Amino acid sequence: MSVGEVVETVKYVVREGLRGGRAYYGLLLGLLVMAVYGVYVWVGVQHAPIFLRSEQGGLVLTGMSDSVPWGLYISFFVFWVGVAAAGIMFALGAYVFNHPGFRKIAVLGEVQAVAALIVVLLLIIADMGRPLRAMVLMPLLPNFPRSMLGWDFVVITGYLVINLVGYLYTVGRYREDRSLSARFLVPFVIVAAPIAIGIHTVTAFISQALTARPYWNTALLAPRYVATAFASGPALLLLVLLLAERSVKGFRVDWDVYRKTIFVTTGALIVGLYFTFSEVQELLWYTTEPFKKAQLEVLLLGRAAAWLSLLFWLWIALGVAAVILALIPSVRSTRGGVAFIALLTVIAVIGEKTLTIVLPSYIPDSLGQIRPYTPTPVEIVVTIGIHAIGFLIYAILAKPAIRAIMTHYKGASH
Amino acid sequence: MSGSRRVDEKRRNLLKAGVFAAGISFIGVSRSTLMSMLKPVSLSEVLGVPPRRETEETLARKAEWKEERIKEWCSRKVEEICREYGEGSEECAEARRRCEAVKVKATPARQGVAFAMALDVNKCIGCRRCAYACVMENNVARNNGIEWIKVLEAPREGEAIDFLHAKLDYTDAPKEDMVYVPVACMHCENPPCVMACPVRATWREPDGIVVVDYERCIGCRYCMTACPYGARHFNWGVPEPSVLELNPNMHILGNVPRQVHVVEKCTWCIHRTRDGGIPACVEVCPVGARVFGDLNDPESPIRRVLEEYGAFVLKPEAGTRPRFFYFFGPARTPAAKEGGGEK
Ligand code: SF4
Ligand code: SF4
Repeated sequence: MSVGEVVETVKYVVREGLRGGRAYYGLLLGLLVMAVYGVYVWVGVQHAPIFLRSEQGGLVLTGMSDSVPWGLYISFFVFWVGVAAAGIMFALGAYVFNHPGFRKIAVLGEVQAVAALIVVLLLIIADMGRPLRAMVLMPLLPNFPRSMLGWDFVVITGYLVINLVGYLYTVGRYREDRSLSARFLVPFVIVAAPIAIGIHTVTAFISQALTARPYWNTALLAPRYVATAFASGPALLLLVLLLAERSVKGFRVDWDVYRKTIFVTTGALIVGLYFTFSEVQELLWYTTEPFKKAQLEVLLLGRAAAWLSLLFWLWIALGVAAVILALIPSVRSTRGGVAFIALLTVIAVIGEKTLTIVLPSYIPDSLGQIRPYTPTPVEIVVTIGIHAIGFLIYAILAKPAIRAIMTHYKGASH
Repeated sequence: MSGSRRVDEKRRNLLKAGVFAAGISFIGVSRSTLMSMLKPVSLSEVLGVPPRRETEETLARKAEWKEERIKEWCSRKVEEICREYGEGSEECAEARRRCEAVKVKATPARQGVAFAMALDVNKCIGCRRCAYACVMENNVARNNGIEWIKVLEAPREGEAIDFLHAKLDYTDAPKEDMVYVPVACMHCENPPCVMACPVRATWREPDGIVVVDYERCIGCRYCMTACPYGARHFNWGVPEPSVLELNPNMHILGNVPRQVHVVEKCTWCIHRTRDGGIPACVEVCPVGARVFGDLNDPESPIRRVLEEYGAFVLKPEAGTRPRFFYFFGPARTPAAKEGGGEK
């Protein structure tokens, strides 16, 4: 693609992304309000000492402490990395297995990855004490091969760039009713697939090799991350597809896409649940690591943080429910059934992947002290604001993509 | 090079003694045999990344710059104090004296020095005077609730010190059946915090002190997650040091007043020890439970106690090789009652 074509495509995306009916504008406006408020609270309250040189405010307004140095932000960071990684599943179905249904909608997997990665980056920035310094220092990678955060920075920005390229290329071709060329797709998939797995693997590696945190210190952490990512990511995309079918006239998704994706998410859920089961066995049966056991008790029995174990049991309950429902043919063969299974899956993985994967490592802390953590309103508002930005970007990118798909597939396929 | 190998040898023997004393042996083969066969390399050597170290000049320049900044800030505060208490007041004079005396040093590590500290668990009475002295000495902002030294109170019975039943918030001490374990940065030889930091804002100096560059830290708190000893603390709010209690003797990598959203930790009073002094906690301890010195100096007190009593470390399984040792000295303070579980 030439520079001119790229510019034209960007213009097309902006034009189409911002065009729509009343409901669409209502949605954008609502998200915008939340986003602006979240950014305001971050700049003007939580990071006021940095941006406004104020004596008040600071991260002290969050629930975090020296005992629990990472909280809500990093928890959701982990979840969205998983969602981003799983976008690759659609690219694989489309370009490696050459499934026509997946080919049609694969670009939406890239949209989801871009939006998720932007949430990921914003959550890190929101959590960072000194974001301006970080923006100068991080790209220089001063401690590169040694610090896992450096690796994470590289793979996440790399994956973001790859997905943006894939997105612009696909939209650019489809909107002119041209198909994608293999000269682009083959290298694209070869580069993107390992990095997709890489972003989640590296995110797990940040924590799994720390001897300081027994609860994380298991080689099962990275596999567990990747497993449930392949449940939550595709399930979220299914929900988006169902929504798009209802709200965009003439846009149809091949039923086989739903069927196959539900197979994948169910398989991933089963593996994820199995991993959890295996970890719990290791810890409860006869562990000689009192710290690990104590941290697990916080998680399972709700000592010190009842809502934490609520989330954990939510994961088990909804995860099992989603699996059972997916096994019943009459449920999984209706659009409503698929939507329900997908919704359960997403919520189950939020239960598993967010706070319950981060917090137990800190409760009790490394000196055995219990200092519970509860997110404060400041944290919650900032987190919601960042998610609003993410969904805003999701909507603005998805709309032109769907339009371009419809141009290319014009009634030719259902 | 050969000098440092000799030093290494000594340290290894010492550590062997320490490990033996604690009754833990990691490998069956003699370590020195193994070491003569295997040459230790560090990953950064292999990958060609030099450890990030300030040169002496850049550090000195930074110290000068910092000193100016601190003087600007504290003269402003002095004016406020003098206005509030009156020109002739004692407070005004005190604040002025402290502010004028501010000196930010950049003393580099001395060649061939390997600092270490040891603490006699039999002597410690859990009075927390070290923790208090540390806050005063190191200009730790009083409003952020940071204490570099935490003292754990743990039940005396049982083989290992059990963190999960230890308390930080005890109110009276010493108690007969309790043991007191002060914990601060262990100045690990193999520090996971240094490994974790994405921007090299924290590193281990040649004399073994692990320091933080407050001007470089991006506040990601990965190091706090990586430290097995809860030794790193974050300035969650804007630190407000008081000029009336300011310690004017400062080191750029140590007790200069901190900023908001950066990490800080014990530096073994780098501003004292690099000039030949001892850390404030060692000085203040009323029962003399703490010993500090140069591991490479055969005459140093630290060598004497470690050779005589052996040593153990907290959480050896974390693999960080602390340079802070605990030992059981000859007598308990207060003396144990007849038949009361002497160790
Ligand atoms: S005790 Fe913690 S902060 Fe100190 S050197 Fe070791 S890992 Fe780093
Ligand atoms: S908080 Fe500061 S010192 Fe710690 S890892 Fe992050 S940048 Fe490095």
